[in-house]
Amino acid sequence: MADLTTPAAKGVDVLIAEDSRMQGKILQKRLTDAGHAVRWAENGSLALDMARERRPDIIISDIEMPVATGYDFCKAVKSDPALRTIPFILLSTLADPIDIIRGLDAGADNYVTKPYEPDYLLGRMAALLATPLGEDDLADATTLEVSLAGQSFKVRAGRQQALNLLVSTFENAVAKNKELMVSNQELSVARDGLERTNQELVSLNAEISRINTQMIRDLEAAAKVQRSLLPADDVSLPSLDIAWRYVPCQSLAGDFLNIFPLDDERVGLFVVDVSGHGVPSSLMAVTVGRFLTAKVADSSILVRQGPDGRVVVASPADVATQLNRLFQADEFSGLYFTILYGVLHVPSGRLDYVCGGHPALVRIPAAGGPPEFHGAEGFPIAFVPEVVYEQKSLTLSPGDRIFLYSDGVPEAMDKDREPYGEEKMASCLDGGRGGPVDASVASLLDAVEAWCQPNGPLDDVTILGIEWKP
Amino acid sequence: MDQFRRIQTGKKGDIFMILFKDKKILDDTVLDEIRAEVAQLLGKASGPDVLLDFSEVDFMSSAMLGLLGQLHRKVSGGKGRLRMCGIKPAIFQVFKLTNLDKLFSIHKDAPAALATFT
Repeated sequence: MADLTTPAAKGVDVLIAEDSRMQGKILQKRLTDAGHAVRWAENGSLALDMARERRPDIIISDIEMPVATGYDFCKAVKSDPALRTIPFILLSTLADPIDIIRGLDAGADNYVTKPYEPDYLLGRMAALLATPLGEDDLADATTLEVSLAGQSFKVRAGRQQALNLLVSTFENAVAKNKELMVSNQELSVARDGLERTNQELVSLNAEISRINTQMIRDLEAAAKVQRSLLPADDVSLPSLDIAWRYVPCQSLAGDFLNIFPLDDERVGLFVVDVSGHGVPSSLMAVTVGRFLTAKVADSSILVRQGPDGRVVVASPADVATQLNRLFQADEFSGLYFTILYGVLHVPSGRLDYVCGGHPALVRIPAAGGPPEFHGAEGFPIAFVPEVVYEQKSLTLSPGDRIFLYSDGVPEAMDKDREPYGEEKMASCLDGGRGGPVDASVASLLDAVEAWCQPNGPLDDVTILGIEWKP
Repeated sequence: MDQFRRIQTGKKGDIFMILFKDKKILDDTVLDEIRAEVAQLLGKASGPDVLLDFSEVDFMSSAMLGLLGQLHRKVSGGKGRLRMCGIKPAIFQVFKLTNLDKLFSIHKDAPAALATFT
C-alpha cells in the first residue's frame, strides 16, 4: 500500500471535518508533514462552506459531529455538481456493518475505521486520487438493492463509487484482520510466557513444600530427642508423689526437667532453662542433658563408679561447678543456662540443692503456714568461669511439697506485659493443698496460660512438683 | 558516630558509653542486632571500660543476659570495667532472678556510674 503514495498524492489540497480538536490537530500535522495543504473545519456545515469557498482535492470527514454529521456533509458534497467528483473518505469508530451501507448511500468513496495508522490513511488517499471519479461514472448512478444482516437496503450509487467503497471496506477488514493476527500472536506469546512462569511457580512451590516437610520432620525428630530428656509421663518413685508439666513456646525449647533415682536411697531432680528458644537453645539443652543422667556408664556427672564398685553420688555443688567448667562460655552464641539441681535423700526427707542463677523452689509445708521460697547463691552456668556454688539443705516433713519451675512461670506476661509474679504463683500452689500434686501443677499451668491470654506464653513453661510421703 | 540502629554510643575519655535504644528487648532478632552492633563498636579493644545505659528499656528477656555475660568476659579478660545504669524495677527483676545483680556493678544513672570509673 505504501507504494500507492505516488507523486500524484503529493501536495494536494485536503479538507478535514473533525469535531475533536486533538484528533483534528494530529491529522492536520500528519498531512502537513506529508506535504499537503490542509484546512480543518469543526463540523460538516462549516466544512461544506469551506469546500464551496475553494474546491479541495480530497475530503476526510469524521461521522459523529454536531450540527451536520459526516453522512449529511457527504450527501451535500455528492449532490453538489461542482463538488461531487471530489473523493470523500469517512472516518469512523463505528463498527456496525450498517454504517458501511449508510456511507455508500451518502455517496462516500472510502471508509477508514478509527483508530488507523496514518500511513494507511495516506495510502487510501493516494489510491483515490489515482483513480479519479468521472462525471460519467456519477451519471450512471443507479438504485442498488443490498441485503445485509437480514435487512434490505436501497442505495443509490455509481458503480465506480460502490466498487471503491467496498474495496476500501475490504482492505479495512484485511488491515484489521492483520492487526488481530498480530495481537493474537502476541497473546499467544504472552500465554506461553505465563504458562512457563506458572510451571516455574508450581515447581518452586513443590520445592518449598518439600523443604518445609523436611524441616518439619527434622524439628519433630529434634523435639523427640528433646522429649527423651524428660521423665516418663507416669514417673513413679517410692515414697514420692510426682507431677510435671512442660510446655515449649516453640516446637523446640531450652527448658527441660527430670527426676530419677541416683542410688537406692537418693533421687536426683532438676529444672534446666537454657536462654533463648528454638534450635540453638534446644541443641544446648540436649548437650547439657547428656551429662545429667543417672546411668553410670554414660557421661554422667551426677554419679560415678566408686573404687568398691558402688555408686558414688556427686554433691549438687560439685555438679554445678562441673557443669560450669564443661560449658565454657560460648562467645559466638552467648547462650547460658540456669539450673536448680537437688538430691533428695528419700528415707530422711533431706534435700541438698544448688541454684545456678535459677529461681528459688517453693515449699508448701504440710503443717500449714505460708509457702516458702528456698534459693541459693550462684550465677547461671556458662556465665562466669570458676565460680563457687553455694549448696543448701532443706529437710522436708511428711506431706511437704516442693515445686521447681522455670522463669517462664513467674515472668509470664499478660497483654500489658505485667508479670504473673512469684506471689500469685505461691498462692496458686498454696491453694492446691489437700488435692493431688498433679492437680496443683495443672492448675498452676492453667493459671499461667490464662494470665497470658490472648497470645499465650512467650517463654517455655516448666513445672515439677513433688510430695514427700514416707 | 551514630551509625547504629539499636544503640546510641558515646565516649567519655576511654569509656565506651552504650545506650540501648529499644523499649523492648524481647525478640531474638533485636538481640542479635544489638549483639552485632556492640561487637562492631568495641571491635578488638582489649579490656575496654564500658558503661551500659538501660534507661530507655522497659522490657527485656533473660536472653539479653547472655550478651551481658559476653561483655563481662570481654571486659574483665583485660583490665576493663563494666558498669550498668538506668535499670528499671521490672528489668532489675530479671537480674535478681538469676543472681546476676550480685555479679554486675549496677548504678542509678550515668553520672553515678561514670563516677565509679575513676
